[in-house]
Amino acid sequence: MPTTATVFEIKRCAVHDGPGVRTTLFLKGCPLRCRWCHNPEGIAPGPQLAYYDHKCLACGECVSVCEANVHSIIDGRHVVNTASCTACGKCVDACLGRSLRLYGQNLTVEHARQIVLEDREFYSGGGGVTLSGGEPLLQAGFCAELLSWLKQDGIHCAVDTSGAVGWQAFQKVLPHADTFLYDVKHADDSKHQQYTGQSNSRIVDNLRRLSECDVPIEVRIPLITGFNDDGKSIDSIGALLSELRGVVAVRLLPYHHAGSKYQAIGLDALMLALEEPSSVRIEEIAAQFKSLLDCPRVKLYV
Amino acid sequence: MSSISVCEGDRAYVCNKFKAPVFDPATGLDNDTIMQNLTALVDDLKQQPHPVVKARAFEYVARHVRIDVSPHDWFVAFGCWDGKARPLNFLLSRWDEEVNTRLTTLPLIQDLNRSAVCYSNKDFYHSVPDWDAVFTLGFPGLLGRARQYRRQREASETMTPQAQAYFDGVEITYTAILEMLQRFRDHALSRAFGNERMLACAQCLDSLTQGPPANTYEVLQMVYVFFMFGEYIDLIQVRSLGNLDRTVYPYYRRDLQLGTYTEAQIREFFSYFLMQWASIDAKYGHPFYFGGTRPDGGSEINDLSYLILDEFDKLDICSPKLQIKMSPGTPTTFIDKAVDMIRRGHSSIVFLCEPSIRRAMMGYGATEQEIRLCDITGCYEFVPHARGNCTIVACLNMLKMVELVMYDGIDPHSGIDFGCRTGSIEMLQTFDDFYKAYLRQLDQIIESAMLCANEFEKYLSDVNPALVLSGTIENSLATARDAYHDGCVYNISSILTSGFASAIDALMSIKEHVFEKRILSLEQLREVLRLNWKGHEKLRLKMLNAKCKYGNGIDAVDTYAEALARYLGSKINLRPNSRGGFYIASMHTPPPYHLAHGQKTGATPDGRMAGEEVSKNISPTMGADTNGVTALIRSVTRMDSAMHPGDFPLDVMLHPATVQGDDGLFAMRTLLNTYMQRHGVAIQFNVFDARTLLDAQTHPEKYQGLQVRVCGWNVHFTDMSRKEQDMFIRRARNIRE
Repeated sequence: MPTTATVFEIKRCAVHDGPGVRTTLFLKGCPLRCRWCHNPEGIAPGPQLAYYDHKCLACGECVSVCEANVHSIIDGRHVVNTASCTACGKCVDACLGRSLRLYGQNLTVEHARQIVLEDREFYSGGGGVTLSGGEPLLQAGFCAELLSWLKQDGIHCAVDTSGAVGWQAFQKVLPHADTFLYDVKHADDSKHQQYTGQSNSRIVDNLRRLSECDVPIEVRIPLITGFNDDGKSIDSIGALLSELRGVVAVRLLPYHHAGSKYQAIGLDALMLALEEPSSVRIEEIAAQFKSLLDCPRVKLYV
Repeated sequence: MSSISVCEGDRAYVCNKFKAPVFDPATGLDNDTIMQNLTALVDDLKQQPHPVVKARAFEYVARHVRIDVSPHDWFVAFGCWDGKARPLNFLLSRWDEEVNTRLTTLPLIQDLNRSAVCYSNKDFYHSVPDWDAVFTLGFPGLLGRARQYRRQREASETMTPQAQAYFDGVEITYTAILEMLQRFRDHALSRAFGNERMLACAQCLDSLTQGPPANTYEVLQMVYVFFMFGEYIDLIQVRSLGNLDRTVYPYYRRDLQLGTYTEAQIREFFSYFLMQWASIDAKYGHPFYFGGTRPDGGSEINDLSYLILDEFDKLDICSPKLQIKMSPGTPTTFIDKAVDMIRRGHSSIVFLCEPSIRRAMMGYGATEQEIRLCDITGCYEFVPHARGNCTIVACLNMLKMVELVMYDGIDPHSGIDFGCRTGSIEMLQTFDDFYKAYLRQLDQIIESAMLCANEFEKYLSDVNPALVLSGTIENSLATARDAYHDGCVYNISSILTSGFASAIDALMSIKEHVFEKRILSLEQLREVLRLNWKGHEKLRLKMLNAKCKYGNGIDAVDTYAEALARYLGSKINLRPNSRGGFYIASMHTPPPYHLAHGQKTGATPDGRMAGEEVSKNISPTMGADTNGVTALIRSVTRMDSAMHPGDFPLDVMLHPATVQGDDGLFAMRTLLNTYMQRHGVAIQFNVFDARTLLDAQTHPEKYQGLQVRVCGWNVHFTDMSRKEQDMFIRRARNIRE
């Protein structure tokens, strides 16, 4: 049986997910439940049907191809009952308004490798592949196998992780990863628990261990209004990072509203409509980080 | 960086100079009177050969048109600035009509144009003088050289009446140019009243009447007046200003070394110089190009290249157009500067890849030097420097051939029968049958286009003798043949295309839906298309949304695109034209032919409604490329660009968020380099502005591939709710501002 993974998005020409031009594979499944999540379609481990209702033409094509009675048109309105959905994807192909999308396709290592290699000419100057998610290391076996092949192909390999996995998962990919992108949300455990559903202790421990592994780490900090955008939170994150010699870059990711995706996969209830941080505030936070970190050894990106 | 070098009061003068000019009536006759007198003059000269008649008309305008030299400008003003009011336009129209009455192919030309199967007409818009000769010789030297060639011909007793007329035309024209320069000088002196700028201008003009230019200011004044003489009096003979950073560089260096001018002064000259074209703002655009490669293999990019780009950036103008000849040796800093300007909204910058140009030009035997110095004659087209001309004689509507197959050689829109019988569609049993029929219809139209061009191109120099241009081209003087007709070493006619991607998409749709899935028969499809999808909207969406579209890196589709592109090249390249030269194929679609050809093309199997635009250049159909820019570049460069020595241009659309920051800059440079490595020729980046995003809200079907990409996540623009889209449009505005 070849190793497979469930991938919900393939982003080509990704320019902010590690050095150079990259292909980013987003693997499904995530142990965290961050309340601001940008990729809610990546949380559940299995394939998932999404329905963007504002694009629906109520043409009924989906009804006629679906064997699981997921779709019905009632009074000219499209009603989607995903409970019975087998994620076969037939309705997506049939949809005339492009309002249906299937998040999650099973890829073998070889298929994923071929997808990455298709764009290899664009990786000159440091680019390559990034495995992201969701949490890619939930499927660490697949990641390790894919990266080991891609290493042999001469492709630069990056792993974008939340860190919320066992250290064994890191051990699997460490021999093949050229760099890690590592999300740090908060240094305060109770706040972390409150907003992500999990303690940060394993995340911080893994980060410390990884930092001793001679692999460059870019720490990515989502800036979430009311969660970690205050001076005290920034101070504590800065203090944590300044101890870690493996951290070579810090990238601030200001919160973006991602409402339509939540609606599309039926998670409206979880959707959090926060204020996006102002550009002035982002600059202030960047300045604060600059004073906390060992710049320019540590590069700061906004 | 110095501050903006055009002060506000001057900027107003230079802007109005071409938009609403005011001329002192005492300096000459008004344009209406000139037109009347010219008509009479031309009638008097009826028996004379065209070059002489035109030269005398030129001389009359040069002597009588109103002029201005202003303390607000470093450059002089001509009273005949307006495209519509160009005084010699009537001559071109009159002679064009005369020639047309003689054309036996005129009905066919009219049919081709009326049906929009193929644009077909004489072209006068792609002249580039030998700027090196203009710089080295100056106006008096060009006149002297023309006289020398005349004497040689007389001495060798090979002077014919045609050669005589040619030399008369060139000499009268260049003599009139010198006279007019003196008029400008005298006017400047008489109005200067001690104004230093006007006195400097008078001195500069005086110098140009005496010999070649000696410093940066004189060189720029010369380029500008040469342009005005060629483009606005002698008519459309200076499309490009050439390789300015290379040609002006020696003057710039010398001025700085000798202290003739400071860098700040040279910056000022350049900004006033660039402002002239911003003010003219010709609809087809006047370009100049940066860079290229030196004989020793190094890049031609120098400190002047940066200075010019800098001044252009500060002026925030969109004309003149900027082209950058790029090779692996082009300094990264220069590319980054240009790319940064593009992402800040400068949409008039295009890159041309030298290694790919080399491959294409080698296909017709151009030498290393001709290739290295090749001129860019229009938007992106290239010809051997000072030794080539290239006219655009036709633009094939590639999508229309699908309709011709459907109606057995008859255009359903106009009812015109083009005579190629590929059989009724009931006979087309397989996709291969259809594809072969398509190629036969295409053959027929290519042959028709060549038949027409072969005839009308015999008369190019009768319609618009290229006197100013010919005076600069040595081969033209040596052969006493018009430089835009057959006086160059390479006299090239280019056949262009529109709707290439649309045609591939339409063919793929027929393959999938008619012959593979058998959703409907060809007859049924023809009927649906005739009804413009009325009552068949679902089918239209199915065909519009089909996956097999060009531009997505799909092997099965790209194979057909590659084969069709190669076929086009094979049918066109190196076929002899009627000017002693040859034809070349081009993948360029000059605007507005993607609209005009679309307007007269009915609904097509790619899901397109009747009248909608067709694709342009080698770019995909709007909205059909949903796999991202890397897949697009892979699709496009699967075709061999060398099969299209006329041109091979790609438009790439990017969202501002993708190109933000150092990462974004790096990404754009990487795309550029990969395109070059894969033998792409011309590439133009368009970073989506707020206006385009607003259009994407209204026409989501055209923007299916548009993804908003930031760190860690991405989303299809059309998937977002209206409110979220609005937010992104606001953000795009902020990024750009």
